[in-house]
Order: sequence, then structure tokens, then C-alpha cells
Amino acid sequence: MIDDPTTNVAGPVDTDEEVQTRSNTIVRPVEHQMPLELRDVTIRYEGGGADPLTIVEHFNLGLEAGTMHCLAGRSGSGKTSILTVAAGLTLPTAGEVLWEGESLDEMDDDEIAERRRALIGYVDQGGALIDGMSALENVLLPAVPDGQVAERTEMAKNLLDLVGLGRRMHHRPVQLSGGERQRVAIARALILGTKVLVVDEPTASLDREHANQIIGILKDTTRDGITVLVATHDQELIAVADSRTYMN
Amino acid sequence: MNPAARFLRSRSLVVTVVVLVAAMVLSVFIQARAQIAINDVVDKNARGLYDILVLPEDTGGSGGTLRQPDVVSGTGGITAAELQQIRQVSGVAVAAPISLVSKVVQDAQVPQLKATDYVGYTPNTQAFIDQQGISDAVPKDQWPAPDSVLSDTPKRYRITAKAETSDGKNTTVLFENSAQGTLGQGEVVTEKVPGGTSVRTVAPDGETGIKFPDPAGGTFHGNFDVSIALPTLPQISETVVAVDPVAEQALLGEAGAFLAPLAKAPGASGRNAEEVGQRFMDRMSQGFSAEDVKSGIYHEGLPFKFWSPFLFQYQSAKEAGSLTDDSQVIPMVVRSGTELNLKYSVTIEEIDEAGNTIAEVGTVSRNLGEDYLPFATSKPFELRWPGGKDYNYLLGSGGIQVASGLYQPALWSTDFVSRPEYSAGEAEANGATDQTVIPQGWVQVNKLPEKTLSWQTEPDTTQREPVSEQSYRQSLQAGGETSAPLPFVFGTFDANAVRSAAGDINYLPLGGYDPTPLTLVEDAQGNDVEPVALDPGLSGAGLAVQSAGAITDYTGLAAVRGTSAEDPVIDAIRVRVNAAGSWQSAREEIAAVAGDIAALGLHTEVVAGSAREDVSITVPEYRKDSLGTVSALGTVTQSWVRQGSATGVQNALSSSSIALLALTIGGAALVTAASTVTFTRNRRAEAVTLRAMGWTRGRIRSWFLHELLVGAVAILAVAAVVVALSRNWVTALVSAAALAIYLAAAFTSAALLKPHPRPDSAPAGGDGSALVDNAKTYAARQLLSNRFNSAAVAVSVGVLGAAAGALVAVLVDLPRAVGSSALSVLAVNQLSGLNLALALLGVLASLMLTLITGRFELPRKREQWQILTAMGWGPGLLLQLRRWEAGILGVLALPLAILGSVAVTLVIAPHAVLRAALASVLAVLIWFIVTTRTRK
Repeated sequence: MIDDPTTNVAGPVDTDEEVQTRSNTIVRPVEHQMPLELRDVTIRYEGGGADPLTIVEHFNLGLEAGTMHCLAGRSGSGKTSILTVAAGLTLPTAGEVLWEGESLDEMDDDEIAERRRALIGYVDQGGALIDGMSALENVLLPAVPDGQVAERTEMAKNLLDLVGLGRRMHHRPVQLSGGERQRVAIARALILGTKVLVVDEPTASLDREHANQIIGILKDTTRDGITVLVATHDQELIAVADSRTYMN
Repeated sequence: MNPAARFLRSRSLVVTVVVLVAAMVLSVFIQARAQIAINDVVDKNARGLYDILVLPEDTGGSGGTLRQPDVVSGTGGITAAELQQIRQVSGVAVAAPISLVSKVVQDAQVPQLKATDYVGYTPNTQAFIDQQGISDAVPKDQWPAPDSVLSDTPKRYRITAKAETSDGKNTTVLFENSAQGTLGQGEVVTEKVPGGTSVRTVAPDGETGIKFPDPAGGTFHGNFDVSIALPTLPQISETVVAVDPVAEQALLGEAGAFLAPLAKAPGASGRNAEEVGQRFMDRMSQGFSAEDVKSGIYHEGLPFKFWSPFLFQYQSAKEAGSLTDDSQVIPMVVRSGTELNLKYSVTIEEIDEAGNTIAEVGTVSRNLGEDYLPFATSKPFELRWPGGKDYNYLLGSGGIQVASGLYQPALWSTDFVSRPEYSAGEAEANGATDQTVIPQGWVQVNKLPEKTLSWQTEPDTTQREPVSEQSYRQSLQAGGETSAPLPFVFGTFDANAVRSAAGDINYLPLGGYDPTPLTLVEDAQGNDVEPVALDPGLSGAGLAVQSAGAITDYTGLAAVRGTSAEDPVIDAIRVRVNAAGSWQSAREEIAAVAGDIAALGLHTEVVAGSAREDVSITVPEYRKDSLGTVSALGTVTQSWVRQGSATGVQNALSSSSIALLALTIGGAALVTAASTVTFTRNRRAEAVTLRAMGWTRGRIRSWFLHELLVGAVAILAVAAVVVALSRNWVTALVSAAALAIYLAAAFTSAALLKPHPRPDSAPAGGDGSALVDNAKTYAARQLLSNRFNSAAVAVSVGVLGAAAGALVAVLVDLPRAVGSSALSVLAVNQLSGLNLALALLGVLASLMLTLITGRFELPRKREQWQILTAMGWGPGLLLQLRRWEAGILGVLALPLAILGSVAVTLVIAPHAVLRAALASVLAVLIWFIVTTRTRK
């Protein structure tokens, strides 16, 4: 539960100042089209018979291309919920999610899936790889729906090289360490030339060395114009972000 | 946590055991109900009017086969002494003999066409009323004015008389004759005659009447009618059987009440035709009062309508000199109505002098089958002029017409009859056997009379259009020299009521007087036709023979055939055993009595436990037309008797029911086993934790085994209860098998549980394997990576398919297994609901368990689908994925399903293999549909 709703409610996106507060995140002016934008988002879980649990209320977020924004806060503060909403994996109770200015409310499931492939790369906490498939195949998963596996294979290998796993491409998830799995997941998120990378706790449960590798990879992606939205409580990752939101 | 608590915590496992236990309880309950129903149906329908059929020693065949309905042959073979011996056998309640006596050829009345020529109330009318003493005539002032369908001025008419007959398939015109003449309304003429005044009706001037060719008469003007004699009807033959009326009544029960008059008939000494004839002539000479007429003119307990025909024949026989001192009266109970289809119609046209039709007056017709009573008829065979009215009521009871049925002594003949011969064709799957009737010689049917009426000199044969029909009967051996017997009707019976009393399912032929109709179902070309009951041919010599027209006793038989008391004239004896209760409880006693009778040197067939069976009979060479062209009839069906049907039905149904039970529980137990193994294997992580806590492998195995044994205890407890309730060894066996299967699964799964699971190895060849690039390859990779669970689900689906196929095979096989008798059909119909429920229960239980087994993979799959969704896989692609996964599993399961169902079916119902295989494929398909729809 949010301790004090009045201080946690995100306000309107109406300023061009970079703000770091506990409650509101105003990242950039919104006069032009942003790759990812959350408007007045409320996430509430109805608990069968129990009181509804409000995770966030009136939350606003707008991200410019080539920037990294951190959602920081304690476990259970709603970081992952915002990420899944931002990635279009769940829909908010109220409010609007816009990808390049297009509202998800106007899309059906198939359209969301199609747009997500083109725009969003999602990296789950722990990597979330498919057992029984090699690292290379996991990286190529997003290319399957469009039948681009063959065309993207070389790129997948390059991405695995980029994340330092070129020699482990035929290994399965159970044969990879936690950090390696995270890196495979990041490579997978980038395979379709994504514009927004949504990453959940990429350095959790990693040692510092591996955590720094991940941070480096994420920072590198922003230089290619990719927007990164990351949820973390890793102070080093928070420090390298272009903007931040602290959540209770 | 104790094992029971751990077991209950494993909800999926609990659900599988609960489903298995529920399937056991329900299936045993349904099977028990089915067994009760089987016994009930068989008991109620497996014992007919008699238990043993006794035939002469040289009768071929034996029990356990089909018995045709002709149990009387006319050739006899059993003596009265042997009948007495049978009656003295311990346990015999009724021994009712029956024999075919003869046939009687009769001439029906000369039909008349009556144009009512009503002249109103005349002085002559009052004189008639006074003379006859008619007290209930309509008063004079209420008589209508003169009326007639004919005009004052005579007109010319053409009258066409037509007689046609049909066996239900072929219609034959016997004759179609026309005659023409002039008819007009009669005139009342009052004349002075010596001693008074004569009032009479005369034809108008210029009327010529209408004359048909001989042997018909001409036109006659009466008080109320113009009667035109029409061409005579063909001869009609009726068969006569002999029974012991007392024993026959005992056999039929209440339905045999019609035999009471025959039972009261005098013995041989009281049947002298001359003496009886004289007694009734004396009564006739006394005249009748109006009260007599009203009450029916009974004499010696018999109504006038019965003794009038007898007297007519008595007089005719005396005139012909055929009556001898030995001539006897033959008391008979005759059938109500004839079965002959003979339609007589008259078309009347008004014509001009040149014979051209001016107007159609109309057509009138009557059917002999509906209007004729053999040996005696209550009313003349007359047709009314179209539009004519019946004014007989004006004379009250004096207007009743009483006419005789025979015009000359009946001709008793033994020139026919034995049983038809058949050759058995191939047996069908359900045990039914097609028969082919063997033709005998050609006989002429639809025979017109060769008789000379009183006004004729030569028999008229010009009207005859003979048709030949194959005789399927051989001549009956004639008895000794006989004197002319005179039939005397003592009462009537309703053949259909007797047939009804004989029963339907447990039908046993009585022997000649219960009709066994033939129904045409296929024409000569083998095409199906609308089923039509065939009517007997007019000669009585064809295949379709009408039931006996009359029943007499053995004294009558001796008089007709000239046999003595020692002659073996009894064709068959129907014996009922003095054993109360159902067929089940009486069968041993019946068999013992049959053995005792057989020891007397007679052929016995135990017919208790038999049932009616409709036999298909192919009839070749049925008719020959006037050009000599021979044509077949086609295929007919007739009710025969399947002996041993009760045993067959009971055994087959019980076996099928048990097979369904075994398949239901067996299938459910196998799938439960697969489910248990899969579930336990999915708890490897738990085993790893326990191992980390320092548990030995054996301890870990016991830990899980004890948990699984709780399920075994539950199954054992339920099995004990259902076995105790059903008291059935099959239930015990099947329950034990289910428990054994579950225990085997428990031990196997515990043994397979490895605390140190090796990660599934990389694909063979590492990077050499094909990349996952679509839903199909993804599904294949996943199933391969989780091959144990995939195999378990595939085995479950295979077992489901095999069980479904085998269950369908048992259901399909039921009609074959139980046979084709009426009892089989009844039993199968009555049990179809229970059997279907049992089979459905089996399929549903297996389907549920299979789905539960598939759900063990669900958490992992959900996790994967979430990842794939995050990777941009849309709902359509995920549905494709689910379908590919289920499809591949289904394809893997299909061989097991088909082979399993085929293997089981080959054992229990080989002919249903194809349908079983199809059913197994269908079951797998249903699983595919359900599983791809429920996994969300």
C-alpha cells in the first residue's frame, strides 16, 4: 500500500523542468511526440471481496528518445506494475499509455502485440528465458511472429557478442548464470531494433561486476537513440539515469 | 505434516483419485442396475404360453435354432395314447394337442344389386304385417311416400360387375362383366282375384331387366326392391384345425373362452347329421314369432344365424343324396371374417339406345374380407343402387334379413397342406438367418366356381382368368373313406385376439389359428418397398396362407378324415410345465419334464426362453401370368421363433455390460496412473530441497510414496464398499485391477523421483539443430524438452482414445451380440440408456483425468506465454502455439489410441474395428478441441 496517497499521486505533465520527487515525474516537455508516455495512470487491483489495492494513482510519465529513466523505490512500491503497463502487457485501471503518441486504448490485442514488437523491448526480472531453447533461439523469439528468424540470426549473434555471450549462444538457460540470462534477455529485447527498452531490476541478484556490465549495456543503448525505462533499487544504475522517479 | 495431509494438499492428485473413485462407484452402480434390468427383461419376456413343443419322433432339427410358425403339418405322428402318457408325466400342467384337419371349399352367395323400388304403404303391406305378426312395424301414417331411385319411365342402364383380388402387391382382376337393359320404377297393381284382392308390384311397361351371363340370374321385382343377380364370387377355401377344446382353453387362459361352445358339443353319438338335421327342421317348421326373431331364434343354445346355414346344407345334401347314415355334424368355432382381399364392385351408367353413356349413376363396392363370415353370414352379400335408401326398418324386426352362407354342402378336401420348406441362407452378424422358400408345383389361384346353380345346365367357365402361383405346400395325406360331414357353426373367434394372447416378444405359434402374416419388404429386384402385409391367395395353396377359418375337436377330425382313435393324427402337442415363476427359476424343471417326454419316444423342443424373430424369406417363382412369364415376389418377413434367445440375450448383455464396466474403470485407472506419475515428477524441486536437508534418497522416496498410498487406501476403501454392495466377482476383479494400476503408478513415480535432476540436455548437435522460427517448431521444441510430461500426456490421451474406441465397439456390438430376436431388440432398447451412460461415464472420466494431467504443465506454460507476450507474440500466434502443442501430442497419441482400441475390439467385437478406430480418433479430436479451448 502507498503510505500517503497525497504525496504519491503523480501530477499533470505540464513542465519542462526535470524533476526528481517522490510523487511526480515531469521529464520533458510534451509538445512533440514521445516514444513512451503514461498519462494520468492509475493501477488498482481488485481483491475478491477485500478492499481494492491501489498501486499508483494519477501517474504521469513522458520519455524522450535516447534517455534513460529510472523507477526507484522499495519492493512492492509498484515499479514492476508501471513497467508492465508501459510495455502494454497489462492495461491500467485508468489513464492512458501512449506509444509514439498512439493510445493503447485504441488498439486490440493483436495490434498491441504488433506495435510492441516494433517499439518495445521488455526485459523481465531475472531474464525470463524459455527453457529448452538456446540463448540464440531465445534472442530470436521476437522475430518469430514476423517470420524473420533467418534474416535476424546474424544480428542475434552480433547482439550476443555485444553482451559478451557470443560463445554461449547455443547454451540453454539452465546452463547460464543469472547475469548471463539478463544479458541474453537484453539482447532479445534489442533484436527487432526496438525504440524503448523496458527493463525490470536488471542488476538484482547480480554481483557488482556483472551489474556494472548490465548498466554499461543499458547506457550504451541510449546512445543509439533508444529510450530506456528501468525499475531498480541499484544506486549505481539510478545514478547513471537521465531522470528518476522515486516511489513509495 | 503427515502423509494424509500432504496428499490432501496435492489438490490435483486428490482430484484424480476422486475422479477415479467416482467413476468406480458410478460405473459399478450403473452396471448393477443394468444387470438387474437384464434379468428383469428376460424373466418377464422369456416364457410364453407353453414351455415344450412335442413333435413326432422323426421330426428333424433340434433346439437352439429357428422354429418356423407352421407347427402343424397335417401328417400327424402322435397318437392319443401318447398324449395321455404325456399328461401323466410329472410336472405337466397342460398338454394341448393340435392337428390340421382339412380344408373346406365353399361357394359364397350370389351377390345382388338392389335398386330400392319403394312403393309406400299398400294394402298388401298391412296383410304382410298381420300375417307375420309383426308388432314393431312403423305405424301406417308414418310410412314415407313412395320413393325410388328409378324413374317412372324405364331407362336403359349398363351395369358392370368387377371382382378383383390383391395379395397386397399384385392386383388381379378376376372378371369384369357388363350387362345392359331397361329398368323403371315398379307399379303397384291391385287385382281382383278369386276370393279377394291381390296387390302386387310389377315392372313398368317396357322394362327388360338386366341379364348377366350365367351363372348369374336376372332382374327381379319385389315389394321393396329391384334385385339384379350379379356374376358369382370365386370359391373360397378355409382350413380347419382340431384341438382339445378343454386343454386349449387351459393353454390360452381367458383368451380361450371362445372355445367353450366347442367344449360343450355332444360326443360322437350325438352328432349324427340326420338326427341333428331333423331336430332343427322340426324347429324350423314351428315357425318364428316376432319375439323369436328379435331374440335371435335360439335353438339348442345356438342362434339362427348359425343353424340356418347348417339346415340349408343339410337339405342340399339330402337332395343331392350325399348324406349317409354315418354322416356327422362337425361342430366348429369359426374365425370372424376372412383374410381374403376380394373386392366386388358394380358400376352403373345410364345409356342411350346406341349404348353410349348418358350419365354415370355411380359405383358401389364391398370387400369380402370385411363383410364375409366363413360358413355363416348374418346378412346377404348385396350392394345398394347408388343413392338408394334402406326401408327395411319400416317392418321392424320383420325387416331383419337372415341368409345362409353356403348354398351347397361344403367340399372337404385334404388336397393341400404340409409345412413350407425353406433353405437357410447366410447368417448375418446378429445371428439372423435369411431363408429361401422352396417352390413346389404350380397351382391355380383365384379360381372361379365350377358350379351349376339350380337354373343352370352347364358350369360357366368363360369368366375365368386363372393365375398360377407356386405352391409352397405339399398335399396332405388323406384319411380313410369318409361320409359327407356337415359343418355346424357353434361360435366364432377373433384370430387377431388369439395372436395377441400368444404374446409378442415371447411369441410361440399356437398352430394354425393364430395368423402369422407375411410382410413384403423388398421387391423382386431387391429394392426396398413400403412394408405391406400380404393377403392370402384365394386358393389357399400359396405361400401366404390365411389362418385357419375354423376349429373343431378330435371327434370332428375323425369324422372328416375317417380315422380311428388309434391313428397317429396329432401333429404337435404344446406342453406347459407346472412350474410357477420366471424362466430362470423354471428352466431346470422344464428341462426335466422335456427329458421325461423325450423318453417316451417323442421329439421335444424346449421353447421356454424363446422369442419372436422376424425372418427374411426370399420368394422366387411366385407368380406366372397368362403368357407363362414367371416372376419372383421379392423378400418377405415373417415372425418365427428364436429358441434359446433368453440365454443368448442374458449372456451377451451381461458380457457387454461387464466389458463396459471393465473398460470404464480400466481406462480411468490407467489415466490416473499416468497423471500420478506426471504429478509426482513435477515435484522434483521439493525432492531437491529435501535432499539438501540431508534426506537420503530412500527416505525421500518413502516420503512421496506414503503420500501416494493415501490415494491407494481411498481406492481400496471404495473398492471394498462397491464389491460388498454388488457382490459381484467382476466388480472385485475390476476394482482390484484399478488398485493395482494405481499402486504400480505410485511405486513407479516414487522410483522416478530424482533429487538431483539433470538439466535437460541441449538439442542434439547443439547449434546444428534447426532454429525455432515458428509456432510449430516452438511447440515441438517444448514438447521435446519436456519429453517425460509430454509422453505422459500423450499416453493419457492415447488411453482415452483407446477406451473411447473400445466402449463404442461394445455399444456397436450389442445388437450383434444379443441377436436379432424381439427379446434382443427389447432388451437392447431398454438397456441402451444405461449402457450409453456407462460408456459416456468412461469417456468423460478419462477425458477429465487427461485434462488434469495436461494441467500439470500449465504453470510453466503460463510463464512461457507471458514471456512470449512480452516478446510481441499476439493472441493469434499463441493460439497457434497451443494448437500445435496439442496437435503434436494428439498425433503422438493417435497410434496408441487406434492400436489400443483395435486390439481390444479385436477381442470383443472384431466387426466393429473400423468404428472403434474412428471413435478413438474422434475422442482424441474432442480432447484436442477441449484442451485448446480451456488453456488460457
